[in-house]
Amino acid sequence: MLFPLESTLKADAKTVAGSGEYDVVIVGSGISGAIIAKQAAEAGKRVLMLEAGTGANITLAGYDDLLTTFYSAVSKDNQSPFPVNANAAMPRSPKLRKLQAGETDSSTYIVQSGPYVSDTTYTRIFGGTTMHWEAKTPRMLRSDFKTRSIFGQGLDWPLSFEEIEDDYRLAEREIGVSANVEDQQYLGQTFPGDYVFPMRGLPLSYLDQQVNKGIEGTSVELCGKTYPLKVRPYPQGRNSIPNPAYDGGKGYRPIGAVDTHQVEEGGRCQGNTNCVPLCPVQARYHSGKTLAKAFAKNAKAGERLVELLAQAVASKVDIDPDNGKVRSLEVKVYKDPASAAHETITVKGKVFVFAAGAIETARLMLASGLRSTSGLVGRNLMDHAYLLNWALMPQICGTMRGTSSTGGIVDLRDGPFRERQAAFAIDIHNDGWGWATGAPTSDLLELVDDRNLHGADLRRGMVDRVSRQLLLAFMLEVMPDESNRITVDPQYTDALGNMRPILSFTVPEYTMKGAAYGRRFARTVFARLGAQDHTHYDPSDFGYVAYEGQGYAIRGGNHLAGTHIMGTTRTNSVVDKNQRSWDHENLYLVGGGSMPTIGTANVTLTLAAMCFRSSRDILKYLH
Amino acid sequence: MSNRFEAFLGLSVELTAFSRFDLLGTGLAERYLATLDKVVGVEITDTLLAAFVALPPAEGEARIKAVRTTILGNELLGDVARALIKLWYSGTWFELPLAWMERFGSRPADTTFVVSPDAYVEGLLWKAIGAHPAGAKAPGFGSWAFPPKIPALPELDSKA
Ligand SMILES: Cc1cc2nc3c(=O)[nH]c(=O)nc-3n(C[C@H](O)[C@H](O)[C@H](O)COP(=O)(O)OP(=O)(O)OC[C@H]3O[C@@H](n4cnc5c(N)ncnc54)[C@H](O)[C@@H]3O)c2cc1C
Ligand code: SF4
Repeated sequence: MLFPLESTLKADAKTVAGSGEYDVVIVGSGISGAIIAKQAAEAGKRVLMLEAGTGANITLAGYDDLLTTFYSAVSKDNQSPFPVNANAAMPRSPKLRKLQAGETDSSTYIVQSGPYVSDTTYTRIFGGTTMHWEAKTPRMLRSDFKTRSIFGQGLDWPLSFEEIEDDYRLAEREIGVSANVEDQQYLGQTFPGDYVFPMRGLPLSYLDQQVNKGIEGTSVELCGKTYPLKVRPYPQGRNSIPNPAYDGGKGYRPIGAVDTHQVEEGGRCQGNTNCVPLCPVQARYHSGKTLAKAFAKNAKAGERLVELLAQAVASKVDIDPDNGKVRSLEVKVYKDPASAAHETITVKGKVFVFAAGAIETARLMLASGLRSTSGLVGRNLMDHAYLLNWALMPQICGTMRGTSSTGGIVDLRDGPFRERQAAFAIDIHNDGWGWATGAPTSDLLELVDDRNLHGADLRRGMVDRVSRQLLLAFMLEVMPDESNRITVDPQYTDALGNMRPILSFTVPEYTMKGAAYGRRFARTVFARLGAQDHTHYDPSDFGYVAYEGQGYAIRGGNHLAGTHIMGTTRTNSVVDKNQRSWDHENLYLVGGGSMPTIGTANVTLTLAAMCFRSSRDILKYLH
Repeated sequence: MSNRFEAFLGLSVELTAFSRFDLLGTGLAERYLATLDKVVGVEITDTLLAAFVALPPAEGEARIKAVRTTILGNELLGDVARALIKLWYSGTWFELPLAWMERFGSRPADTTFVVSPDAYVEGLLWKAIGAHPAGAKAPGFGSWAFPPKIPALPELDSKA
């Protein structure tokens, strides 16, 4: 896929500031902003996209630089490909520490005010967090949209599954989802008539198959109901074999790497096992693919419809006191990530779209003093809680091969037990214990330094230790709670003087009940597999949570939501069901922040679907 | 090839159980010898190489025992040899233990670092387990659905 060359020419701050009113001003070039930019450009609207991070990775050469940075990084932590940029900082996990009661830690970009310390992250660079994501793309279940009425927990959406279903299909097309309908029909999920996904499902890994062999045909009992166990494939935003039956037999053309020059790679996943943090060939979706289509609209019309201004940090929202509309946006534009020198410009538009991610969008609103009538901006912060369980399989499973994750155990995503405890989806990590222990490097260090192995013993030892690794990552439901929130405080600012986000979070009891059950569930599965349980949670771990006499290390899920929650009135929510702000009629706050609940679906497919919905509303508003 | 390089290669084969062919195939052998020279100095490197050259020609268990007593268990050379194993397996030089620095003096170049981007890609640990480095040398679509091809240790296995 081609980026028109002129789209990569940096729009310059002076021209942008002086160029009058845009139809749509979008903050953030992640998938949310990209979808709205593309839909608006296709309707002939003039769009300005502001991106806080650098835009160098728009070209293949710039993208490949990220890969080299990753190869050269000593710690392959999950932000390792993305260079440090104090002007548009992002959370980086390795520096976190456990807090004492009442303590606040401001040594990392997100100020952790506890009691729970989250290692959740997002990426501030052209393409946003899709440059970094793993790309699992399950839909939410019907019941996830009405947990309050069905289970007495969380909130109901102002939208039903039926209302969002068509947009799910648009999102699946945009991302290029690989899945087989027959694998996704569990727990009452239905797909109309002849629907097929754009591409066929990615095959289950050998590891998945070994786990399935051990559990298929067995079941567990929970609250009087029986749940059969099986390893099922996950839908994925990674290129697979196109399904010729897609789109009524028209088929689907996968989009590989994007660049300003013609490149032929990434049309199909090659099994690099590196989807997180960066797919080397761009077989995994990132929002640059959607933006390439948006930029292509320019060329046809002979004028630039979509302009991208990178290294431009939206810093303050200016509201017209007479009508509550957004009048303009104050933007700090820097030349060099290594220097805080910047100029401040004012940008005008008919419609403003904040697509900066759930934490940064809330941060921008709060830093501008905009809490909204409901006072809910920044509140109801949600993120999936992950509980890791790891073991050694009795047989060699070929761990460390495949795409990052292909299958999981997902039959406990729904059931009457949700009246009492959180549901979960489990994914099997093809990269073994990496997330929990730093494998395979940690294994190498242990075998050489502590177990004194060398030569053939070391080679055999590595196989024995790594190729049998199994990690079950339990992704637990977290319900909205107003006291879990993002705030700002002038005493905590970044290099450009923008206030940094402060995170206050308690893992809800509902989730911890699910975690405690999840731990028991993992032990049952390991027993059935004859796998040696190696799971242990260190009380000094930053994410350690005690619950009913046991302790669990809870990890952040990177599925941020809730901070500009969607609802039915201006008093119970920040945005309406089209993600339009109740208080500011020309302002849309889009992305995970609008979601009232997150169920057990990784959030991106759903937030992408909502952005298609918002695009229609924006176009209606502009007419 | 110089005798010095020959000795380095022999030592590396001994410590990693990968063949000369595998080690030369990484294209990194010279760079790793230079890394040793740079980090711990030519003198200690030469001592390590001399200890290897002086090993008795024994085979099997006796050989392993000799490597343990004269190299891996040597107070000066043990930690350096272990750092060399880790370097071959991962492409990363891991800083020597504090106790070593306290006794033999710290070296300015002795920090944890990745020798080069290709050093990461050529790490032997991936080969040992029949996998590929995360993010490189992709084995191809769907390859993950099949059992891993873990390379055998021919000469060593046949002796056992
Ligand atoms: C390691 C990891 C794995 C993940 N795996 C999955 C998965 O498997 N499935 C799934 O569904 N989701 C996954 N996610 C989550 C997913 O990546 C996000 O939900 C999604 O990318 C959010 O898109 P967005 O466009 O709303 O926000 P973002 O992608 O975060 O985009 C926001 C953009 O706004 C820019 N920005 C921020 N502040 C400003 C400002 N003040 N001015 C200008 N620009 C600004 C940022 O630089 C960024 O480009 C994962 C996330 C991570 C980190
Ligand atoms: S497995 Fe590899 S090729 Fe496939 S999407 Fe992930 S990183 Fe890209």
